[in-house]
Amino acid sequence: MKASERNPASENTVNIPDTRVLRLRPVHLRKLAAIAEVKGKVLFSKNFIIMPAFSLGFTLLMKVIYGAAAQGEFNTNVYALTLGVLMNICMEGVYCTAAALAEEKEKNTLRTLMTSSVNGLEFFIGSLIPVVLMSTVVNVLCIFIAGFDMGILQWAAFLAVTVACSAISAVIGMIFGIYTKTQVSAGTITTPALLILMMIPLFRGFNDTLEMISEFLFTGIIYNAISNINSSLPVTDVKGIIILAAEFILSVIVFLALYRKNGFER
Amino acid sequence: MNQPYISIRHLSKKFSKDFVLKDVNAELQKGEILGFLGPSGAGKTTTIKILTGQLRPTSGEAEVLGLPCNRIDETIYEQIGIVTDVSGVYERMSVYDNLKYFARLLNVPLKEIDPLLKRIGLYEHRKKPASRLSKGQTQRLILARAVLHEPKILFLDEPTSGLDPSTALEVHKMLLELKNEGMSIFLTTHNMEEATKLCDHVALLNEGVIVEYGTPQEICLKYNKVKKYKVQLTDGTKHFLVQSPEASDQIAQWLCSGIIETIHSCEPTLETVFLEVTGRELQ
Repeated sequence: MKASERNPASENTVNIPDTRVLRLRPVHLRKLAAIAEVKGKVLFSKNFIIMPAFSLGFTLLMKVIYGAAAQGEFNTNVYALTLGVLMNICMEGVYCTAAALAEEKEKNTLRTLMTSSVNGLEFFIGSLIPVVLMSTVVNVLCIFIAGFDMGILQWAAFLAVTVACSAISAVIGMIFGIYTKTQVSAGTITTPALLILMMIPLFRGFNDTLEMISEFLFTGIIYNAISNINSSLPVTDVKGIIILAAEFILSVIVFLALYRKNGFER
Repeated sequence: MNQPYISIRHLSKKFSKDFVLKDVNAELQKGEILGFLGPSGAGKTTTIKILTGQLRPTSGEAEVLGLPCNRIDETIYEQIGIVTDVSGVYERMSVYDNLKYFARLLNVPLKEIDPLLKRIGLYEHRKKPASRLSKGQTQRLILARAVLHEPKILFLDEPTSGLDPSTALEVHKMLLELKNEGMSIFLTTHNMEEATKLCDHVALLNEGVIVEYGTPQEICLKYNKVKKYKVQLTDGTKHFLVQSPEASDQIAQWLCSGIIETIHSCEPTLETVFLEVTGRELQ
């Protein structure tokens, strides 16, 4: 038995220095581009592409089902779009990010990367870029599938809110990714969080507590934004913007705290 | 003498209460192969992890290219290559794309990938997903990735473990070529033939302690206390003789009779030295 196997890594100082501390090291665009490209290709693999595909399919399904049930009495596009976008932001942002990080650990490629001159910040940013991009593209496709017709201002507001929410969910995905070692455990550990993030806004009307919690969730804010997008109401207000900014900062702080403790690999 | 590429001084590493490395000293000079030879659990992998900044030593010092190992950063990682038993490849990506990814990360021109693929014998497989490579091919891919940026130091943790003999020979050939090109190699192995064949200096490591250090020849000759000869006669019989006046007379008699088929001196090998020093076998 090897010494490294005999002594569990967690009990000691197993660390890759450049991954343990997200110091202000230079970020090389060349490395960012390479990491983002590879991570982007991973999102198109069969393990991951199912998530955005499911969101798009679900949007279409909801539009058809609700459309038939409503018989033109009310606008079903909002419902379809809300479900599709919520599902996409949670699945793509949280699950895919966590699972992709877990896969890198499982296949030992993360360690190889970290000992090949990639620093933690480069890996972090390079991993987030394709998730946010793909999530945004899928959200836009959801709009077309749901049959929304929006003006430039509505588009801008929609994109701003969804990009912010995608970034928050991706950072949350990285937080889960730090704790998981395999894709299977990534799926297990993220499922409750996904349910909470998706279900609370959807069931907000059931009682005041859910309503209040939803107001403080980024998923709740996006729910409101889509509900208001075709009305004269603002897509979001100052409170919503503050909450989004606070949740992004908070998730980054939590990520950094965990990262300093564990690195990308415990 | 120039500053060594790797300098290890009084290095110790403790996990919980157990020392896995105790007061280890060694040096690797430019263009040299240094082997850490020992059985599983001797501390070889721990040494590599410390030298590559993946573990912190409990005490002592280790420097890689003049930088203390606990301060290793990207600038050092750009000058070293690492092949360990856990070096992963991107299985979904092709052989070429695996190298292309690291070439971009390490700022290596992409035109250098094809010659390297030809050199390691994977050019015909360059479009094949890494998941479909045999173990030997995967090991060669990992080795190619580690030397892609022509590092000053190559760290190899049991590079031929689990490989068939012909693939292991190919790896040996490539390592000797890299050495001749000026690359320094830090190698761990429990294969004494590999160490004898490749290494300029060897450290015999047992339970975290270096029990012998020197060139393989020096170590073997140091323990060559009892001179033995193995004689095979034309009738097929084999005789082991310890050097003595009687043995010399016997050999002279056989020589005069012309019945000696082969005659060899029996120097100790690194394996027998290790057994003699530690009472343990390498394998």
